[in-house]
Amino acid sequence: MNLRRVLTITRRVMRQILRDRRTVALIVFAPMLMLTLGAILFRSDPAPIPLGVLNVDQGVTSPIVGTIELGQRIVDELAASDDLAVVTLSQEEVDDRLRDGTVEAALYFPEDFTTSFVANRQAVLDLLLEGSNPMRSVTITAHVTQAAMRGLAGLAGTGFGVPSVPQATEGETALPVSVQATYLYGGEEFDTMDFVAPVYIALLSMFFVFLLACVAFLRERSQGTMERLAATPATQMEIVLGYMLGLGLFALIQVAVILFFTIWVIKIHYLGSLSLLLLVIALLAIVGVNMGILASAFARNEFQVIQFVPLVIIPQVLLGGTFWAVQDMPNFLQPFAYIMPIYYANNALRDVMLKGWGLAEIWPNLAILVGITGVLIILSSMMMRREVS
Amino acid sequence: MDFVVETHDLRKYFGSIHAVDGVDLSVGRGEIYGLIGPNGSGKTTLIRLLIGLLRPTSGSIRLLGEDMPNKAILAQTGYMTQASALYEELTVRENVAFFADMCGKYDPTWRDEVIELVNLQDRSRSLIRTLSGGLRQRTSLACALAHKPRLLLLDEPTVGVDPQLRATFWSYFRSLADTGITLIISSHVMDEAERCDRLGFLRQGKLLAEGTPAVLRNQKGTTTLEEAFLQFAVEATEGGE
Ligand SMILES: Nc1ncnc2c1ncn2[C@@H]1O[C@H](COP(=O)(O)OP(=O)(O)OP(=O)(O)O)[C@@H](O)[C@H]1O
Ligand SMILES: [Mg+2]
Repeated sequence: MNLRRVLTITRRVMRQILRDRRTVALIVFAPMLMLTLGAILFRSDPAPIPLGVLNVDQGVTSPIVGTIELGQRIVDELAASDDLAVVTLSQEEVDDRLRDGTVEAALYFPEDFTTSFVANRQAVLDLLLEGSNPMRSVTITAHVTQAAMRGLAGLAGTGFGVPSVPQATEGETALPVSVQATYLYGGEEFDTMDFVAPVYIALLSMFFVFLLACVAFLRERSQGTMERLAATPATQMEIVLGYMLGLGLFALIQVAVILFFTIWVIKIHYLGSLSLLLLVIALLAIVGVNMGILASAFARNEFQVIQFVPLVIIPQVLLGGTFWAVQDMPNFLQPFAYIMPIYYANNALRDVMLKGWGLAEIWPNLAILVGITGVLIILSSMMMRREVS
Repeated sequence: MDFVVETHDLRKYFGSIHAVDGVDLSVGRGEIYGLIGPNGSGKTTLIRLLIGLLRPTSGSIRLLGEDMPNKAILAQTGYMTQASALYEELTVRENVAFFADMCGKYDPTWRDEVIELVNLQDRSRSLIRTLSGGLRQRTSLACALAHKPRLLLLDEPTVGVDPQLRATFWSYFRSLADTGITLIISSHVMDEAERCDRLGFLRQGKLLAEGTPAVLRNQKGTTTLEEAFLQFAVEATEGGE
């Protein structure tokens, strides 16, 4: 082995990389960007969760301690919590407010809430959850339970004889509070995979098609055929559209495979219509194709294409409402969610798969995806024109 | 007279490099015009300017009576790049058909003829990535001809082509010219230059001399074009300093 030869190769490799300023910039800045984003998202104080309350609790009047309204006590504790924003609702409002998302859960205190607590020593909270995000449901349930516990703790001195320390018996915590949750969407038979599936599908179908388009278009330029194409009457727009349709067809096959696999092999639960799902994912895939074409204008080789993954794909994952709910993100990051195509696909897919919504409800999301596609086509064509310098 | 290709004071600067530096070109119908010059003299740049792949720094271009840039006129021009530019995953036939279709010429019998012209009928179903350099070059030429253009711009079409086929190419170029097709062919091979109707000697982006091979030789009183070219070059260098 000749060390000198090895070092010569080392020097050449280093020189090549250093000459590729984009790579150097990426090696330095991409991790910083991603760490910053992660820190902001993980550390951010989530916005208070809007919780609807419908309280018709009559309370109990005892000759010794006067009137006790347990429902009101719990509501006061809920209102005092920084994590919750309590909205008082009337019976008629509950469903609508849950559906339009202005409250994420509704807590109902019936007339005999206090009475039955006195009788059973157990407060059963009737919580109606929106339910399309299981993590969110867990968080809300926890907050509500805590507030209720605090409400009950306040009773300790009132002679109601509430067990102040919950007793643990046989591995089961005998809390004086239990939550009886019902779900507007989803429900018992839905597991976490069912809830994650929509965004998972969106992510997959976008990711592969993006890379495929980016590399295909890049190859056209590196093998010189782009120059040959430019010497034919074909316009830039025609070339972009031709690619979009060609790759889009493959994307469609992929989308169909992903969808059928998730539904029939992974057996996830879903509501809504299958053809609508196919439409949403296909639209997102088309967006992915066009993003790939646009991105290829900024890449000079396949290696640089890979570098687009942290720049283009990961922000979609972090900011597009895939894992973090957009309303929980810090205000200054929220506008970024609205420029992420995947955000609209996520919305539409969740609405269809978990809520069973139809075209009539989800069309605004689809319209935005179509709009984004249009903008991308125009931008890609413009980038190609710029190359004729 | 109507020229098929006409440029006026055409310039293309890449920063401080004057790749094309004030070229006035007039090429008539059915003419074979040879662009002769050493490496880096601006042959490729000039051809790319003509076909609209580059925007001139200044000057004007007319092709087939139309001011450039004009996408529609490109249906009537054929272009062969210096390095073969073909779809590696497609066959010879498919490449030829693709470029013909792009120019709106959908005639399958003509495609087969073109493939025969470049003597590729036996390999017409081979994938490009399985072909040798010379075979690719032939496919490139077939692609440039696939839509029956009226003007052909060929950038060093015979590089890597064996002598026998090179002769075939040139007799073929001649027969095209006889049917009224105009050809602009770049080369630095002098025996090819002899076969052109008219030559332009290009050096550092400037046309040093222009004329038929015989006239150029006579101007310098040399027996070969090569010597004539060297003399023009020496003259230009002295004149410039
Ligand atoms: N895109 C570009 N950017 C910068 N300089 C360029 C560019 N294209 C060409 N040049 C420069 O312009 C000059 C002319 O190049 P051109 O390719 O036209 O030469 P040529 O005559 O075709 O040479 P060859 O015989 O080697 O093919 C060269 O100095 C080249 O480096
Ligand atoms: Mg050249």
